[in-house]
Amino acid sequence: MALLEVEDLRTYFKTREGEVRAVDGVSFSLEHSKMLGIVGESGCGKSVTVLSIMGLVQTPGRVVGGSAVFQGRDLVQLKGRELEDVRGHEIGMIFQDPMTSLNPTLTIGTQLTETLRRHLGMNKDQARKRAVELLEEVHIPNAARRLDDYPHRYSGGMRQRVMIAIAISCNPKLLIADEPTTALDVTVQAGVLDLLHELRSIHEMGVIIITHDMGVVAETADDIIVMYAGQIVEQATALDLFDRPEHPYTEALLEALPQVEGEGIREGRLRSISGRPPDLLDPPPACRFAPRCAYAGQDDCATVPPDLREIRPGHWVRSSHPTSERAAAPVGAR
Amino acid sequence: MSEQMDGASRASTNGNEPLLVVKNLKKYFPIKGGAILDRTVDYVRAVDDVSFTVRAGETLGLVGESGSGKTTTGYCVLQLLKPTEGSVRFAGKELTTMSRGDMRAVRRDMQIVFQDPYASLNPRMTVGDIVSEPLLVHKIGNRKSRRSSAERLLEVVGFNPDFINRYPHEFSGGQRQRIGIARALALNPSLIVCDEPVSALDISIQAQILNLLKDLQNEFGLAYLFVAHDLAVVRTMSDRIAVMNSGKIVEEGPAERVYTNPTDPYTQALLAAVPIPNPRRMQERRAERRKHKDVLAEPV
Amino acid sequence: MVVDRRADFEASLTRTAELRGDQAGGALQRASLLRDAVHRFLKNRAAVAGAIAFLIMVVFVTITPWLSPHDPYAIDFGKAYLRPSWDHPFGTDDFGRDLFIRTALGGRVSILIGFAATVAIMLVGILYGSLSGFAGGALDNGMMRFLDALYGLPYLPFAILTLAIFGTVNFWTMVVALTVASWFTTARVMRGQIITLKENDYVRAANALGARWYRILFRHLLPNTLGVILIFVFLELPGVILGEAFLSFIGLGISAPKASWGTLAQEGYSSYLAYPYIIIIPSLCIGWLILSAFFVADGLRDALDPRSQEA
Repeated sequence: MALLEVEDLRTYFKTREGEVRAVDGVSFSLEHSKMLGIVGESGCGKSVTVLSIMGLVQTPGRVVGGSAVFQGRDLVQLKGRELEDVRGHEIGMIFQDPMTSLNPTLTIGTQLTETLRRHLGMNKDQARKRAVELLEEVHIPNAARRLDDYPHRYSGGMRQRVMIAIAISCNPKLLIADEPTTALDVTVQAGVLDLLHELRSIHEMGVIIITHDMGVVAETADDIIVMYAGQIVEQATALDLFDRPEHPYTEALLEALPQVEGEGIREGRLRSISGRPPDLLDPPPACRFAPRCAYAGQDDCATVPPDLREIRPGHWVRSSHPTSERAAAPVGAR
Repeated sequence: MSEQMDGASRASTNGNEPLLVVKNLKKYFPIKGGAILDRTVDYVRAVDDVSFTVRAGETLGLVGESGSGKTTTGYCVLQLLKPTEGSVRFAGKELTTMSRGDMRAVRRDMQIVFQDPYASLNPRMTVGDIVSEPLLVHKIGNRKSRRSSAERLLEVVGFNPDFINRYPHEFSGGQRQRIGIARALALNPSLIVCDEPVSALDISIQAQILNLLKDLQNEFGLAYLFVAHDLAVVRTMSDRIAVMNSGKIVEEGPAERVYTNPTDPYTQALLAAVPIPNPRRMQERRAERRKHKDVLAEPV
Repeated sequence: MVVDRRADFEASLTRTAELRGDQAGGALQRASLLRDAVHRFLKNRAAVAGAIAFLIMVVFVTITPWLSPHDPYAIDFGKAYLRPSWDHPFGTDDFGRDLFIRTALGGRVSILIGFAATVAIMLVGILYGSLSGFAGGALDNGMMRFLDALYGLPYLPFAILTLAIFGTVNFWTMVVALTVASWFTTARVMRGQIITLKENDYVRAANALGARWYRILFRHLLPNTLGVILIFVFLELPGVILGEAFLSFIGLGISAPKASWGTLAQEGYSSYLAYPYIIIIPSLCIGWLILSAFFVADGLRDALDPRSQEA
């Protein structure tokens, strides 16, 4: 059985202008010890998806439908104390900005032991001993001494490591990382991503990593979900997705990426996707990418919503014009 | 082609001197301390002895991580910050010793595009006022001609001029960035400092803006000092690259050479750290990174 | 030569504009900052109640003197100390004057002094604060130390001292005294605002254009402090009205037969055991106005603060 099974999740935000369908029918599952990357541009619903799973959506948002079954329990139905116990204990979570997640007036040690004592019922000495082990596990030098430092004495990367230590302190089976390296420098990012990889194998955790950075998912995730305008538009293994992207959006996104390696980079132009993501108050009636899609207009994809279908084993796509079905036309694939 | 000539004639330099010559530039920020009176106890060496040149019509990419001093360098070039030491020569003229009045005239020739498209446009001014402000400041044309210039500028940067009377908050990040570019372009400058112009934008919008900057460079013969942290973005834009670390340029050279054959250990580590959108090379990249472990050691 | 270059540039602009057209598309976000702010304000029940209460009071003090059949200054000892009745809703005072109309007239004085002093405080505070924040450096430092020194002194003696220097209490000396005593906070907040705004990239952009200082101050900085100024009007107003009431109550107010709420309360003080309504009514009026202004200020702060984004 899968570790996490999300089925037709819907989260809407009520605004004055109408209902914003931030997450509109998202389904996926995550196996034990796997790393799933959810990638997309801002406003695509990737963060709201995991916040919905964790019961952290704030008003005016509301999970209006669907389920998220984690180890036999539907998280969407859980309330109050039950949910809090799952969060932090069975599911760990780290966010983009480690500074706002840490309390600046408490030492790192206090914040770490607090979680241990609350969720695991440890006494003071046990908790402290475990806290040192945890800091060592996330490779913070001089762990025992640094336990008594306040967060501002830590660099950004080290703070994120502390957040990871707190998140894994109760041996969760699932770790959710929402843009964990976006606020970090590229040299620091590499270390944090490698750490996530390492901990995933040691603790046999499932990991969901949310990011806007194609490079980050490519270097960390086993499976990748691409989201656009509140929906999953493509889902595949990392290898298959980057080798043979099927959705016109994924394809265009990959070609829009500036490259570090290659020839003629300076002289060339990037492929740009015209327009911008749709207004979720009033999304396009059928395929949400249709207004920006280079292949739309040849058939009824602007009027009949395409389903998320399995175009080959393990590779799902929501488009009437996936790359492999366009093979007849000589499209300049990568 | 004629625009290229135009670009060259605007920035008439003596002989073969490049458009911008920065020599031994230093910018130190004092750290205040002391029990009662503010005493300067030490300095942050934000920019510490930096030299580079930018020729007319070319792009120099200035790449570095946060705190490397790249943005401060850009501000010092434009004299938005007063350099502590060193020389900034632009179009054959020394800027660091120039009077305010003379500097005002030079500002027509050098402009800036900022990172944050939300903070870089005055929320109380209309798009038209923002784009024509440079012309107003330098008393070019009359109200009507400035208006039509603004409309054409907006069209040039791909912004619908029908929205000239709207306010910036009504637009998305990409569109706002186009407004900022139109403002920078308004005085027909020969150099634009681009300070992280796309780092706040989504990938698909980022590509639009980068392409636009390239097109404008070709059409108007602009030179760019392109400041950014994203190595891929810098590579896309730059003829030459200077890598900054802790206030110093650690490596400088043609983009091709710096990226394919970096000599400085920091540059090598930086390049190894960039995530590549190709999962097949994950293992290889990890191994590469391990080689640079010492340089990549995080600050604690 | 310069003109030629400009003409060339304009011509090439036209050429490339035709080439490119608009790519970005024009779909606008629907957001309107002002409309959102108004909406947020209207959704805040306390703020709306405050605004309505405030308006009711303003309307009361404005129209009552026109409608009332009584003469506010006519002394008639036969009617002294009448309890509230249909004819005299607020009763009469020791001289037999109708308190309903006198409360309204006193309210006019109180509110007018309040507004005049608030406007003066804003002008002084904005001028001092924005100058200090905009200039920065040693001037800023000096101006702020001066302000700190003033801050150390208590508020009312300042006003009393000012009135003593004038030697007479009338509408305008009262306004000056209250302004002298309470412009500091506004100045401080304005300085903070200007310093924060100065760090905005659009100010940097204006500097990069070679804009002169007055353009930066008046076009880029001050217009962006309007929201804060509006909030401060409603925060200062109650303080000033209370200050005026207090000064009047201790006998430094507008002199009889004219009155403000403070003087009315003071008149009622001598007989508060027998005729408590004489002191209670003006006190309630002062409380009413102060509370309603605070609720409005609070609502404005929530409505204008972009951080409290809530649809």
